[in-house]
Amino acid sequence: MKRHALQYLLLILGAAAFAFPLWWMCAVSLETPQRAEAAITGSSGIVLFPTDPQWSNYAHAMQETGSTPWWGFIDALSNSIVVTVLVVAGTVLSSSLVGYAFARLRFRGSRSLFLVMLATMMLPGQVTMIPLFLLFREFGWIDSILPLVVPAYFGNAFFIFMYRQFIAQIPESLVEAARVDGLGYLAIWWRIMLPLCRPVSAICAVFTFIGTWNDFLAPLIYLHSDASATLAVALNSFKNQYGGLEDVHLLMALSLLTMIPCILIFIAAQKTFVEGLARGAVKG
Amino acid sequence: MATIAFKQVSKVYEGGVRAVDAIDLSIGEGEFCVLVGPSGCGKSTTLRMLAGLEEITSGTLELDARRVNDCTAKERDIAFVFQNYALYPHLTVQQNIAFGLDARRTHKSALAALLRGNSDAMRAESRAIDARVATVAQTLGLEPLLARYPRELSGGQRQRVAVGRAIARSPKVFLFDEPLSNLDARLRIETRSELRQLHRRLRATIVYVTHDQEEAMTLADRLVVMHQGRIQQNATPAACYDTPANRFVAGFIGTPQMNLIDGDLSVQHGELGFESHGFRMPLAAHWPSLSNASPQSIALGIRPDRLLLSGASAHALPATVQSIESLGDRTDLALQSAWGRLVLRATPESVAGVREGDAVHVTLAPSHAHLFEVGEVGARVPTARS
Repeated sequence: MKRHALQYLLLILGAAAFAFPLWWMCAVSLETPQRAEAAITGSSGIVLFPTDPQWSNYAHAMQETGSTPWWGFIDALSNSIVVTVLVVAGTVLSSSLVGYAFARLRFRGSRSLFLVMLATMMLPGQVTMIPLFLLFREFGWIDSILPLVVPAYFGNAFFIFMYRQFIAQIPESLVEAARVDGLGYLAIWWRIMLPLCRPVSAICAVFTFIGTWNDFLAPLIYLHSDASATLAVALNSFKNQYGGLEDVHLLMALSLLTMIPCILIFIAAQKTFVEGLARGAVKG
Repeated sequence: MATIAFKQVSKVYEGGVRAVDAIDLSIGEGEFCVLVGPSGCGKSTTLRMLAGLEEITSGTLELDARRVNDCTAKERDIAFVFQNYALYPHLTVQQNIAFGLDARRTHKSALAALLRGNSDAMRAESRAIDARVATVAQTLGLEPLLARYPRELSGGQRQRVAVGRAIARSPKVFLFDEPLSNLDARLRIETRSELRQLHRRLRATIVYVTHDQEEAMTLADRLVVMHQGRIQQNATPAACYDTPANRFVAGFIGTPQMNLIDGDLSVQHGELGFESHGFRMPLAAHWPSLSNASPQSIALGIRPDRLLLSGASAHALPATVQSIESLGDRTDLALQSAWGRLVLRATPESVAGVREGDAVHVTLAPSHAHLFEVGEVGARVPTARS
C-alpha cells in the first residue's frame, strides 16, 4: 500500500511536469492582451487561472491568421490536412511495401540494399536540405506541396525497418497459404500483410501525422506564398516583423487549436498500438 | 480429381543438401496416398514441390499427364492444409473459407464484370461463393463458427476450418502436411476417421504427409515410406507391414517396433540356420535362395506378436523379463537375451504368471521371420511365398 502511494506520487509529479506547459498555454490563451503580455514577461508571476476568461480569443485567433480574415486560417488548415493525409498514406503504403520486400522476397543484394537503406538514417536532415532544395527547384516544384508529399511515397527508412521486423515474424505458412489460394506478391501484401501489420501501421501513421502536422522547417523552405502555408507556418504570422510578440494570447489559442488533431489521433490509435493482431494466427 | 507423377524428381537445397533424391512415384485418381518417414526424410519437401511452394531441382512433375514444374501454386489448382493451419488471423471463418474462391474471382471475372459495369454478374458470383461456403460449413459442422475469428477457436475447430478452406475450392488435389500433429490424442483419432470419410465422399486425390506410422497405416490406400530422400517402399499399408521391402521399413512400420537382430547365416549339417551371440536358430526351408549360400552376415526380423513364450528346449532362446507393460487387451514384455533386447507382445492370459525378473524361453516360427541384408536399408530376402 505504502509503495503504491509512493509510485502514484511519482507518477503524479511526472504527469504534472509534462502537463504544466499545456495548462499554462491554456490559461494564457484565455487572458486579455495586457495580462497575457505580462504573463509572458513574467512580471505578474506564473499565471495558473485566467481571472476573466476571454473565450472570444479563439474565434479572434482564427480570424487574425494570415493576411485575409478567416480565409488565412481556412487555407492553412486545409493545406495542413491535404499535406498530412497524403504524407501519411504515402509513408504507410510505401514503407510497408518495401518492408515486406525486405522481409519476404529473396533477391540478389537484398542484404546490402537493406544496410544501405539503414545507413540513410544516419544522415542528418541538414546535410540533404540544400541539395534537395536545388533538386526540387529544378523540377519547378517550389511553392507547391509536391516537395513535402512526394518523398513520402519513396518510403521512410525507420518505418521500413519496423515493417520488416514485424513482417519477418509473420508465419511463412500464411504467405504460402495465400500463394496456394492464388495470390501474387502484390495481392499478398495488400490482402494479408497490410491488415496484419495494423499495429505497425498505427505507429507509423501517428508518428508521421504528428511529425508532418507540426513540421515547420520543410513548409517554411518550400512554401513561400501565404495561400500555400500550412498551420505551423501560419502560426508565425503572430510574430511581428522584429521577431517580438504582440498577440501572445492569440498565438497560444491558435497553437492549442493546432494541437487538437494530434491529441485526438493519439487517443484513438492508442489501443491499436498495444494490440497484437497476429495472435491466434497459427496454433495457439 | 487428378493423377500425379513424379519422374526422377530431386531437390537439392543451397549448400548442397539433397533433400529428395530422384524419386519416382505415380498416384492414381482418387487415391489417398500417405508419405511417411522420420523427420528430415524428404516427405514434406516432396509435398511442397507438388504444391509449387518449392522449386524442383531436376526431374519432371506431372499433374494429369501435363508437366507442371514451372507452374505457380495457383496454376496447379491444389489445396494445401498446413501443419499450423495457417488461417488468416484478420479474417473470420466465413472469410477464411471464401478466401480462395474470392482470390481467384478478383483476378479474372470480377475485373471483366467491373469493366462491363455488370454488377448483376458480380452479385451472382458473390451469392455463389456464399452458397459454397454454407455447403462446406454444413459438411464440416462449422455453421455456428462462421462469424468467429481464428483466435477464438479451439485447435480442433481451427483444423476443421483449414480443411474447409481446402475443400471450398474443389481443387484437383488435396495436400495435407501433418495436419493432425497439433491435436490431442483423442481428437486426432476422431479427425482421422473424419478425414477418411471425407475422402470417401469427395473421391478426391489426396497426398498426406505424416511421421506417425499409425496414422499413415489407418488412412492410406497407398503408403509411401521415405528415408534419406528416397522412397523405401511404395505399397498398400498391409504389404508394407507384412512384407517390408527392407530393414528400414521393417523397423519403421509397426508398433512396437519389429525386433531386429544382427547375426550370421550359415549351413550346418545341411541345415540353414541363423546364429547370433552363440545362439543358433534353424530357419527351415523358407528361403530357397539361401539354401546353398555361403556363410554371410544378415539381420533377422521378427514382429513382437510373433514371438512366443515356451518351455526350455534346444531351439528356445533363454531370456530374462526386464519389464512388463500391460495395455489391457495385450501385454508387452521387454526381454533381455543373448540376442539383445527383444519385445514380445502377448495376450494378458498367456503371460498371467510372468513377473519382472523371471527367466523365460522364447521361440519363433521361422515362417513369420524376415531376413534382411546388412545395412540400414538392407533389402529383404524373399521367402518361398513372396
